[in-house]
Amino acid sequence: MNEGMVSADDGATHGDLERSVSAPPDQADVDRTLSHEEFDPKGTLALILVYFAILVGMWVFMYFVEFLGNGLTVVG
Amino acid sequence: MSTGSGAATFVDRYPEEASIVRQAFFVAFVAFGLGALFGVIQALHRTDILRFIPSTDYYTVLTAHGVLLVIVFTIFFLVGLFQWAITRSFDRPVEDIRITKAWLALMSVGSVVTGVTILLGFVDEVGISADVLFTFYAPLQAHPLFYAGLAVFLVGTWIAGADWFRSWLAWNAEHPDDRIPLQAFVVLTTMLMWYIATIGVAVAVLFFLLPWSLGLIETVNPLLTRTLFWFFGHPVVYFWLMPAYLLWYTVLPKIAGGRLFSDPLARVVFVLFLLLSTPVGIHHQYLDPGIAESFKFIAMTNTMFLLLPSLLTAFTVVASVEHGARQRGGTGLFGWLRALPWRDPAFTGMMLAGLMFAAGGFSGMINAGMNINYLVHNTLWVPGHFHLTVGTAVALTMMAGTYWLWPQLTNRRLYSRPIGLLQVVVWFGGMALMSNAMHVSGLYGIPRRTAEPQYQGFDFSTAFGSVAELNVQLAIGGTLLFVSALLFLANLAFSWGNPTTSGLGQTLPPALSGPDDSPRVLDNMRLWAAIALVLVALAYALPLGAIVADSGLFGPGGDAYPVTVVLNSVAVTAERLTASVGATLADVGGVLEVIR
Amino acid sequence: MHIHQYEKLWLGLSLLLIVGFVATVTYGAVGTPAISMIGDDGDTLNPNAIDDHPEFGDPGVEKVGESEYAAYVVARQFMFQPDPIVVPANTTVTFYVTSADVIHGFSVVGTNANTMVIPGEVAELTVEINDPGEYGIVCHEYCGNGHHGMEGLLKVVPADEYDGGDAE
Repeated sequence: MNEGMVSADDGATHGDLERSVSAPPDQADVDRTLSHEEFDPKGTLALILVYFAILVGMWVFMYFVEFLGNGLTVVG
Repeated sequence: MSTGSGAATFVDRYPEEASIVRQAFFVAFVAFGLGALFGVIQALHRTDILRFIPSTDYYTVLTAHGVLLVIVFTIFFLVGLFQWAITRSFDRPVEDIRITKAWLALMSVGSVVTGVTILLGFVDEVGISADVLFTFYAPLQAHPLFYAGLAVFLVGTWIAGADWFRSWLAWNAEHPDDRIPLQAFVVLTTMLMWYIATIGVAVAVLFFLLPWSLGLIETVNPLLTRTLFWFFGHPVVYFWLMPAYLLWYTVLPKIAGGRLFSDPLARVVFVLFLLLSTPVGIHHQYLDPGIAESFKFIAMTNTMFLLLPSLLTAFTVVASVEHGARQRGGTGLFGWLRALPWRDPAFTGMMLAGLMFAAGGFSGMINAGMNINYLVHNTLWVPGHFHLTVGTAVALTMMAGTYWLWPQLTNRRLYSRPIGLLQVVVWFGGMALMSNAMHVSGLYGIPRRTAEPQYQGFDFSTAFGSVAELNVQLAIGGTLLFVSALLFLANLAFSWGNPTTSGLGQTLPPALSGPDDSPRVLDNMRLWAAIALVLVALAYALPLGAIVADSGLFGPGGDAYPVTVVLNSVAVTAERLTASVGATLADVGGVLEVIR
Repeated sequence: MHIHQYEKLWLGLSLLLIVGFVATVTYGAVGTPAISMIGDDGDTLNPNAIDDHPEFGDPGVEKVGESEYAAYVVARQFMFQPDPIVVPANTTVTFYVTSADVIHGFSVVGTNANTMVIPGEVAELTVEINDPGEYGIVCHEYCGNGHHGMEGLLKVVPADEYDGGDAE
């Protein structure tokens, strides 16, 4: 790296909005640290169950209404 | 130089490799810009909103759009990202930079030759054309240079894969007891899949289409070359997707402030992709005469099981993001979503891409459903589907990933985060409109791949709304996507004007459940490659055998239908082509000097 | 291998979804009416010799049973022959579609009657046609720079108005 480089830290000119990335460079400044044992992804489970319900509903609609309800079924 | 809070960047540690990554990204983004331009021309033309080409040239535009975006843009981004991932995760320089430069050069030359051959379709006087679309189905015949460029490009990707396997072997010799880092694991399994997949297209091009276009063989078997294309044509969609998955699994959790939920399950997912991506290609041929229903049924069940790794990915990736949200103080069953860094274009871009992949996953399930394929086959539904998958899940993740990665490749900040955020949101909005209009139009029976929105003898009947309204929706969506593409490219170009800054490096946190929680057999590349080959043989030996038995290796006869109208002598065309290829290469070379 | 219990649950649901999809498709294939896929029953032929073919040489509709008709259709750049295809209502029609040149598509717009048309192969699809009416037919696979003009018409006429002959 050359001498003319500006450090990412001495950046009064580079406010937060101008940071090219928002992720902390390391994980030090998180509110709390959750290990695998103490983290149950219950929000993920809720979201994915909603997705599952949408998939099933849409599949039934597409297959039985849109497709089987369409004319000229190929039977041979 | 003062040191910032951040770590050293990739370019600080591996300047030569970073240069390769930048050059690959540069080619990808040039192709992206051109492809996006051709995209908006189509969106406005086929909806009859604004036309400035004759409808016969629509197919030149369509061929260029397809090849530039799904071959050049996606795969150049892939090789750049994979080079970064291999170097970063093995933490070692390439074994021989000359080899690395050689494959990038081969891929570039192949792309330029094929690309120029396609674009010459606009200039009738030259007599060279390749208006055969991305699928180049025989007996439509492109100029030989189209196939030759494709072959050179493929060889380049094969050497790239060999280069990465060589890095793995060298690393393994020094770390015989270590687990393969996850990023390298993704690269290696993906490239094994690529080697298997490209057998199909390589045989089709080298043994049939190229010799046929040169006049060395009289005829080809259209069903055989088409089946060989789809042998390659489905795994290639996973080839596009794996860079996005690499970013979702290894970068997105970090940006969200969390850690990957499960490294072992990630490995299972990528092994499943290696095993199942190829023996499914016949699902693109559900309505092909000459392939027995039983083979189609087998392809259907394989395809449905191929949903599994993507469904597992949905859980693991969202759980990793939730982990980040909860570490950032998020609470509640859904309230944690508010604790996420939505102002970061890298984060929001990847999340919106993932959301669209969930929707595209559904329309893909319909495509995969064998008999329900009658409803949507070759209608506008199909491009509606793949603009959600490759057009958003892949492309938007690549753009979002670039926002995160580019500063680490250049030591320069991104020009503007707010513009980046606007860009990813506009892409999402534009695609929501365009893809919705395409899906609905498809259900009304409007075909894909055609220059005209209406026919002379009949009208499309709609359940609600009108075809004209859908066309307007499609055109607005396509225009927004083009604006978004320009914003992306401009943001990146202006970033080059930023001063170099130190300390922009980012580290990636280890997974919550690390690789040591998974059985070592997952890292046995030989085993998975062997099983994948067996599955491919089981899925394809009988159908290919039946096709050859029915109509022969070279088909039952029939003429070639060159899309080229030869107006000049071969010598003149060759001269002009050489000149234009040379000029293009010189231009590319000039810009590459700057990027480097 | 540690797998979180929620992930095990999701793995189970995913497999259930996959099995459900396969079951639905299978139901469609064996239910009533049983939806059949385009298969490999059709003959192979040389597309250059189509004009000498006993059926495709003069494509058209033939009566082959009590209420069964066979429609021989040739797709070529950039039209379908015959055009229009005329069949009587309340019959079972089998379309035999082949190509004289490149790959085409044959789709009766707004219906599930849809097939690829590949030179050298004969696509065979049987449909039950009830009410009289008119359907557009489009080629849905790119077949050259006049592709967007390639269309046809399927006319279903009342049985008493059907003249029994070729439309051409």
